[in-house]
Amino acid sequence: MKWIALIAVTLTGSLLLVGVGDFPEWGDAHSAANEGPKLESGEQIATAVSQSFLTDTDELTQVPNVVTAVLADYRGYDTMFETVVIFAAGLAIFAILRVFGGDEVKPMRAPEDDTFCEGDHSRIIIGTTCKLLIPIIQLFALYVIAHGHHSPGGGFQGGVIMGASFILLAIARDLKSALDWFSEKTFMRLASVGILIYAGFGVLCQFFERNFLDYGALKTVMFSSEQMARSYAMLGVEIGVAFTVTAIMFAIYANLSSRGELKQGL
Amino acid sequence: MSDQLPIIIVLAPLFGALIIGLVGSRDHRVCVPVVLVALLTSLIAVIGTLTQVLETGPVDYFVGGWEPGKMAPGVHGPVEIAKGFGIQLRVDTLNGFLLLAIAIVSIFVSIFSIRRANQEAASKTPQFYTLYLLLCVGLFGMTITGDAFNLFVLVEVTSLTSYALIAMGRNRRGTMAAFNYILMGTVGASFYLLGVGYLYLKTGSLNMEHIQEVLSANDFEIGRSKPVMVAFVLIMVGIWIKMAFFPLYGWLPNAYSYCPSTSSCLLAPLMTKISVYIMIRVMLSVFGWEWIFIEYAGWSDAVVILAVIAILAGSTLALAQRELKKMLCYLIVAEVGYMVGGAWLGDPERWGMSGAVYHILADAFMTLCLFLCAGIFAKKANATRIEDLSGMFKKMPLTMTGFVVGALAMIGIPPTCGFFSKFYLIRGGIEGGHWEFVIALIISSLVNVVLFFRIFEIAFFGAKPAEGHDHAHHHDEDDHSSNNQDPIDEPTLLEREAPLRSLIPLFGTAAIIILLGVYNGQIVEWIRLTIKP
Repeated sequence: MKWIALIAVTLTGSLLLVGVGDFPEWGDAHSAANEGPKLESGEQIATAVSQSFLTDTDELTQVPNVVTAVLADYRGYDTMFETVVIFAAGLAIFAILRVFGGDEVKPMRAPEDDTFCEGDHSRIIIGTTCKLLIPIIQLFALYVIAHGHHSPGGGFQGGVIMGASFILLAIARDLKSALDWFSEKTFMRLASVGILIYAGFGVLCQFFERNFLDYGALKTVMFSSEQMARSYAMLGVEIGVAFTVTAIMFAIYANLSSRGELKQGL
Repeated sequence: MSDQLPIIIVLAPLFGALIIGLVGSRDHRVCVPVVLVALLTSLIAVIGTLTQVLETGPVDYFVGGWEPGKMAPGVHGPVEIAKGFGIQLRVDTLNGFLLLAIAIVSIFVSIFSIRRANQEAASKTPQFYTLYLLLCVGLFGMTITGDAFNLFVLVEVTSLTSYALIAMGRNRRGTMAAFNYILMGTVGASFYLLGVGYLYLKTGSLNMEHIQEVLSANDFEIGRSKPVMVAFVLIMVGIWIKMAFFPLYGWLPNAYSYCPSTSSCLLAPLMTKISVYIMIRVMLSVFGWEWIFIEYAGWSDAVVILAVIAILAGSTLALAQRELKKMLCYLIVAEVGYMVGGAWLGDPERWGMSGAVYHILADAFMTLCLFLCAGIFAKKANATRIEDLSGMFKKMPLTMTGFVVGALAMIGIPPTCGFFSKFYLIRGGIEGGHWEFVIALIISSLVNVVLFFRIFEIAFFGAKPAEGHDHAHHHDEDDHSSNNQDPIDEPTLLEREAPLRSLIPLFGTAAIIILLGVYNGQIVEWIRLTIKP
């Protein structure tokens, strides 16, 4: 088996090396992917999409961050399915790990008298730090989500940060108190709601007799120019993505840390 | 409205999945109706699109309205949209019939799954159906897309949901098999993605049509560069892992035989077949057949030889199996060899390529038919091994009839579709001068004869397990003990036979197998409309 693996790795490696021969120069502004594929004679046969994205984005969508325009508008169909991938990952973890029923919750520790023990000191420190940190983390998450089309950021990143704040709560105290805030029912539904928001924006465009995800159609609903409607709709779908990502991040943590019982975490 | 049909095919199951995700956990009874409504909507949309395709030629749909050449309103006046700007969906006669097959198979399996899913994972029914519909979304999306990267995203959706569906059963071996499948599947998807990256590097586009335009410009000047060649190898290896082509089939038999019946009924007929379709699509629409069969003619001979080995190995391993589902899984490995070999026989003007596409359709229904029977046997009679099937003709005559149709199609006996697909493949092999492929096909058919007639013999002549026969897994022990002594207690045919919800999909499939065979000429003619260069 070892030899087969070695041969496979060597073959793949040499195959990749063969391809490197004809690569464009590092950072070449005139390469096929940046400007457009060219023939030996120097004739350019097509414009690279990245070139058209850079020149047309400001005109078409008024979004300063071209990456967001590509992600949420031009290739929004891909991004919708990326969100579905995350949703499916969460569902898969739930489907495989989650166990229902089982024993009653065992208390973390035996009930003690009021005297302080060593553990309680650290609990106070951790608890206070979390109290201070969690709101800031969540605020930052909202900023990342809302500012996605102006600067780096967006639904995926913001959603992960938001999910991290709940995970921090679960680690610092226990899973149960995190679940009191964000129960299983809530997060499993929130995951669907996120994609529903995304796909809902797409279908709404179809009601105005445009194609799926053609946000320009929403100008009458959003009382704005067609370009600004695109910009707003991108924010809308980013929020949808953030819902799903937040919920699934926490769902994965909750299921993994409690072996699917959702009773007592780490 | 009718111009929106292509996207509705994909959206209907997606919304169905989300609705189940929202309300399914409150009341499990909404699941099956939602699944059926969603899939029926897709089916209607597929039929609508397919009629348009047959009347007016390929139907294009540009998601987000980014149609190349269209003038879009910009801030300072209209802007012409460049090629490859957005994502294109494309339905032609090549994938139209596959969409139809996916819709029909998924509807049949969902009828078959009523109650069954509940028993296998009682409290997770809504999650099961959400994953089920998402898998359908992935399959529809993979088939309909005209964008190389969008294809990858949908491969991810399909793979993730199928891992979960395989691991969901109670069988621990299923979980292990799913893990194995995750490793292999991820490697395959990564290879594909890397290949698309190399292509983008040389062409600056992700749209299939556009890539082909760039590659073929000035007599394949860019197509001849090394990164494009490497990209082709990477993409092919990636897809071959996904379809379990011969040396890369290791994950398939365990994954499909140890998972819940419903999952195997949906996955076995569709996953490998759709991967074969993707291979053909990439060959025809991204690289172009001239590039493959003229520029790199040597490759096709090598692949056909691999396919021959796949056919022979799959058939031999199938002979060695004692479990029904395992045997069927190895037959899938052999069938994948048929299709890959057929597609690589050269010039699509010949019959190999058309035969391969027709065989995708035929094999989807043949496999579905046999897996449905295997599921019914396992559930109703607790028969998973071949010798457990003894006396089945008497015990479950209706199910056995369905099984016979599926088996005859697998062997290739007219008027079932299996005969005609083999006929086209052999004709392609002779035209291409690949006699080894022709011989392998004939040997494999003979092996299938042995395999299935052995089962027929056991099921027809084999005595019912005698009283006191020590069978570890017999639920209905009292039925057997009462057989000889007390004829009044013997269960009636209705009780012994599978329930209606299993028989309807089974007979539907059997009917389609025969109909596909009867109308093979017309269907292949339609398929050739797209394949012919």
